[in-house]
Amino acid sequence: MAEFRLRVNGQDAVVDVPPATPLLHALRDELGLRGTKESCGRGECGACTVLVDGAPLLSCVLLVDETVGEIRTIEGIAEENLDLREMFADSGAFQCGFCTPGQITRASALLQEDWPKDDKSIDSFVRLAMSGNICRCTGYSGIIDAIIATARRRGKIPGHNR
Amino acid sequence: MKHVGARHRPIDWDQRSSGKVVYSGDLALPGMLDCAMLRSPHSHARILSIDTSQAAMMPGVKAVACVTDFAPGARYIHEGERDRAPFADQVVRFIGQEVAAVAADTRAQAQAAIRAIKVVYEPIDAPLNVDESLGGPYQSLHERPTHEPNVSRRVLREWGDFAAGLASSALSVGGKFRTQRQAHVCMETLITIAHWREDEKRLHVWTSTQAPYFIVKEVSQLLGLEKEQVVCHEVGVGGGFGAKSKICDVEAIVGLLSRKCGRPVRMRLVREEEFETTKTRHPFHINLKIHADRDGLLQAIEGDIKVDNGAFNHSGASVMGAGIKGLGMMYRPQGLKVAGALVDTAITPGGQYRGYGTTQTSFALESLVDELAEKLKIDPIELRLRNANQPGDVTLVGARLRTAGLAACLRKARDEIGWISEKASRKPGRGVGVAAAVHTSGSFTEPGSNRSDAAIDVYPDGHVRVRFGGADAGTGQRTIMAQIAADILGVAFERVEVLTMESDRTPFDMGSWSSRGTHFAGHAVRVCATETADRLKAIAAGQIGGSDLRLADGCVVNDAGLSMPLGDAARLSNEAVEGVLSVETSYVDPHMEPADKVTGRGNVSASYNFGVHAAIVEVDRRTGAVKVIDYVAVHDVGQPINPTLVEGQTIGGVAMGIGLALGEELIHEQGKMVNPAYINYAMPRAADLPRIRPYTVGDSDPNGPFGAKAIGECSINPPAATIANAVYDAIGVRIKDLPITPDKILDALAEKESRIRRFPIWNRPSRWWIELVRRFYGMGLLKILHTRNTIAVATVDPAPMESVLRPQKLTDAVASLSPDILPLGGGTDLNLQRRMRMIEPRALVAMKTVPELSGITRTPEYIEVGAATTLAKLQRALGADLPVLSEAIATIANPQVREMATVAGNLAQAKRCWFYRSGFNCYKRAGGLAPCYAIEGDHRFYHAAIDGHRCQATTPSDLATVLTALDAEAMIVGKIDDRIVPMSSFYTGPGETVLRNDEIIRAIRISASASQRTGAFSKLRLWEGDFAIVSCAISASIDSSGVWRDVRIVLGGVAPIPWRARASEARLEGRKPSWNYTRGALELELEAHAHPLKRNGWKIEAAIGVVEQAFALTQARSSAPRNLMAAE
Ligand code: FES
Ligand code: FES
Repeated sequence: MAEFRLRVNGQDAVVDVPPATPLLHALRDELGLRGTKESCGRGECGACTVLVDGAPLLSCVLLVDETVGEIRTIEGIAEENLDLREMFADSGAFQCGFCTPGQITRASALLQEDWPKDDKSIDSFVRLAMSGNICRCTGYSGIIDAIIATARRRGKIPGHNR
Repeated sequence: MKHVGARHRPIDWDQRSSGKVVYSGDLALPGMLDCAMLRSPHSHARILSIDTSQAAMMPGVKAVACVTDFAPGARYIHEGERDRAPFADQVVRFIGQEVAAVAADTRAQAQAAIRAIKVVYEPIDAPLNVDESLGGPYQSLHERPTHEPNVSRRVLREWGDFAAGLASSALSVGGKFRTQRQAHVCMETLITIAHWREDEKRLHVWTSTQAPYFIVKEVSQLLGLEKEQVVCHEVGVGGGFGAKSKICDVEAIVGLLSRKCGRPVRMRLVREEEFETTKTRHPFHINLKIHADRDGLLQAIEGDIKVDNGAFNHSGASVMGAGIKGLGMMYRPQGLKVAGALVDTAITPGGQYRGYGTTQTSFALESLVDELAEKLKIDPIELRLRNANQPGDVTLVGARLRTAGLAACLRKARDEIGWISEKASRKPGRGVGVAAAVHTSGSFTEPGSNRSDAAIDVYPDGHVRVRFGGADAGTGQRTIMAQIAADILGVAFERVEVLTMESDRTPFDMGSWSSRGTHFAGHAVRVCATETADRLKAIAAGQIGGSDLRLADGCVVNDAGLSMPLGDAARLSNEAVEGVLSVETSYVDPHMEPADKVTGRGNVSASYNFGVHAAIVEVDRRTGAVKVIDYVAVHDVGQPINPTLVEGQTIGGVAMGIGLALGEELIHEQGKMVNPAYINYAMPRAADLPRIRPYTVGDSDPNGPFGAKAIGECSINPPAATIANAVYDAIGVRIKDLPITPDKILDALAEKESRIRRFPIWNRPSRWWIELVRRFYGMGLLKILHTRNTIAVATVDPAPMESVLRPQKLTDAVASLSPDILPLGGGTDLNLQRRMRMIEPRALVAMKTVPELSGITRTPEYIEVGAATTLAKLQRALGADLPVLSEAIATIANPQVREMATVAGNLAQAKRCWFYRSGFNCYKRAGGLAPCYAIEGDHRFYHAAIDGHRCQATTPSDLATVLTALDAEAMIVGKIDDRIVPMSSFYTGPGETVLRNDEIIRAIRISASASQRTGAFSKLRLWEGDFAIVSCAISASIDSSGVWRDVRIVLGGVAPIPWRARASEARLEGRKPSWNYTRGALELELEAHAHPLKRNGWKIEAAIGVVEQAFALTQARSSAPRNLMAAE
């Protein structure tokens, strides 16, 4: 066992876990932050996405030992992304909801990135950006729609909300 | 109706979108144990003995169980003879079958104990596919009532007047179709918690299920308990799709373990285990023929179907039956005659899966309908319109159609996809296709499946709770029930809560399967809410008087405008308990009837829903890649209760169906699953799909709740045929064997155009020996070498480690390396290798913290990229200047991985051969005489077609391909000395490098001149983010007149290492190459060097195609001004 200091959702935290524990397990099992999900534990699906200093990373393959920076999980970002979550709800962007925390977390980072200017490439831009987050239920349309609509609302891209 | 028909947000949208829904894996019960399963390493073997005594004494172990802990003869009920015990009983019949289980304080302890269980097996030769089962010299897996070896069931269905149909037909079309084994891939792996409470004498169960009813039924009978002694609790259900329609294969085992130790016990399947051991869609072999008259009216359907049952019955017989019924529900032929055989194979069993057999048969039927249309020169939509079912029809199988919107669906799909203009404008490689389907809304499969109960509690504060015994796996019944209750009871939607799955508090319902959720939840709650409303009105009438009482705004209101709050009325009821009025009612569907035992006919469903899909695809004739450009899905669902939910079910089903059409397939070798991981399973990611456009048409169905019909399953049925028909329209080849992957397309095109490529090796003596060994493999050498069992990846976890070092200086980093202390980059591959126990390092050295390893330096002579630079950072920094690099990085995995993965880690990642990675004890893992499984196994995509030797894997890094083309150099530092190695000699084998274990890459250097060259990267893969099947990087100095110099053409994915087409490079040098000239050079070179395996010769064809793409891009860039390129 070893002690690791983390900064999670604006608070300091200490976890006592074996070396090379995935950050995901530290968050879920030690800190009780169970909103972040494990679907593969292999870095292949995006369900465990968290933000570290704003960058979306896969907490199932990120070791707690080398996590430096401000960690934000779905619990920490839900409130400020209420608009995004409402759009998800209105667009049919989730069904079983298991992939959803990862999708929202990834999307919240995407909404901070630079977006293409021309309207035609936006759909494929968002689809490529979200391709690390598997969803088996929705066929993705709702997720993509919700993110684009939120981007419009936030003034990231011109045009009306559909 | 205010709520019914409206686009309501899901009832728990806030929790679902903020991570607050509690799935079973999120529960932490005090004193909870974890467990692990011992699974069979054999496809078929007798168990001679099981010794658990040592495991029971291991640290932390609280309970160990195997077959003897269940009552003798305990079997799952499911259907047919009861052939499956919860733990293997004397015989194992597939790799992964449950043999024993351990509950311990931690998962690691449970796993350690599992390894201490001693099982002695006597292997038996096992039939691993339908052909082997029916024709091979294998011992039968079971004794079956058919008395035929490995035939579990035979049926012959003859409906209508088949002879008359034949007599009236003028022509027929037929064909042999095959469908594959598809995984459900619920994003939540199955997690079950059970807690035996000795004080209550009850077993509490939290498990992800679509049907708590069946959990209670099966767990209680297997454990010898009364039904009341097993209590299911409500949890979030992370996807179902049929996987959880019945009990899975762990719930009873977990219950048993908890009963043995009295502690809460949790079983978590890991992803690999979920893929390998849970039930799948049944593969079908369908030989189908349809007969029609000159006008294209279908007269008769004739077929022979073999269903791959897997190792146990489960739902095989009814899936086969439903598949045949699907043929008897569509169109209006006079007769049908179809024979079916359910064939046992020693593979993970099939089970319930969305579409339930009709997905498979409708692929065949709808492909043939298109063939018929072509033969008759009738437009495919017109032909289907002529045959469309009409309201009032009784179909061959006995389905009585009250409403039937097939024709309306066809017309709508035709308009929305732009069928007429698409057909008129023939663009090369582009095609449009259509297919139709029908499905039931629930099915009378067993007693009780025509009934559903519901209860409603009205609280003193006026809020309402609906209690329902089914489960909502994301399909939306909870929302629908709240909408209905809100409308009938006149309360706000937000004032309705819904409780499901609590088996001791929710009334009878069999669960959400067979598309019955909306039909039964809808009717049950409608009936219960109506009864509740009547009672409230009666009470209020006594208080406020008046007439014409109605419920609105949370009150009972009379015609005089007097009102009484619902909560007050409830409290006044003499049935109220503590002020809460509870009403429970039962709905028995009056329209459904069970199928006739002998004929299989019957009106098993109250309503029938239709769907028509149309798609536009583009097929790249160079690479065989299929891209879906547009997709329209029209469904007749009656009157939708919540259009957003209907669209969700439609699009989700289409996505799964496109997966089935274009990539998804579970692959086995020697009975073991080869690809139990997302990364090896070509299911669609967001960028693989177009915007799927859902529409609804049709009339309100009098038999449905509020006119609604089902949607859940129908949407997955048309996509396979829709895509197959569109592909045929595009390139004139018909693929009858799902999935439609690039290899099949290129092989079919080559055959059609009679240009099969040959790769003579007679003039290459160096490969004669290799060729000889390959031939021996096919003749039995593989069986001889396959002496060791495969590893059950399911039970693999990383070995514990001492530490992760975080040096601050490069010298310290290098000094700490040793054979068991390894460098750690982004961890995306290394941690996976640890998980699969491919490596067991004692410690890791984190390289990202070493300042000398990060950063990008530019000098007039070169660009140097620090080894620990992440791919994302590299792309951001150099993407504009080096489009070839940027293009390659953009295709690597996904954005999150690119944020983590480092340059050195990407270059040094191990081979991705799926045999090696998935636990096969191959030559590279076990050494010595161990075989290479790729030689006979599925090597179509990810193995070498050039230069394969003992191992057929390739180097997976796309970065390697590009950096080789850019003449980059690896700057290597080591304990002893530093060295510079050109990328072209960095690899010594597939994913194997010159690096010694006391060396690391410090940086990658690209010369200024190389970085000035023009270039492009192109890649063929199965899904967005997949590894290269074939990739190509081109780099050349192209002067203003178009002359190429310093030409590099590098292929990835075709050879053990990035493969330079050196002869072609030389022939292009100093020329203004046309594609034809280049192609000529390349063909010559590839044909001389290629030595493909049996089924990957197509990769040579695809390689030429991928080079052509990169060549065209390079040409386009060379004539473009430099600043324009940067903007791309
Ligand atoms: S759980 Fe981390 S990527 Fe799948
Ligand atoms: S909502 Fe179920 S996996 Fe995405």
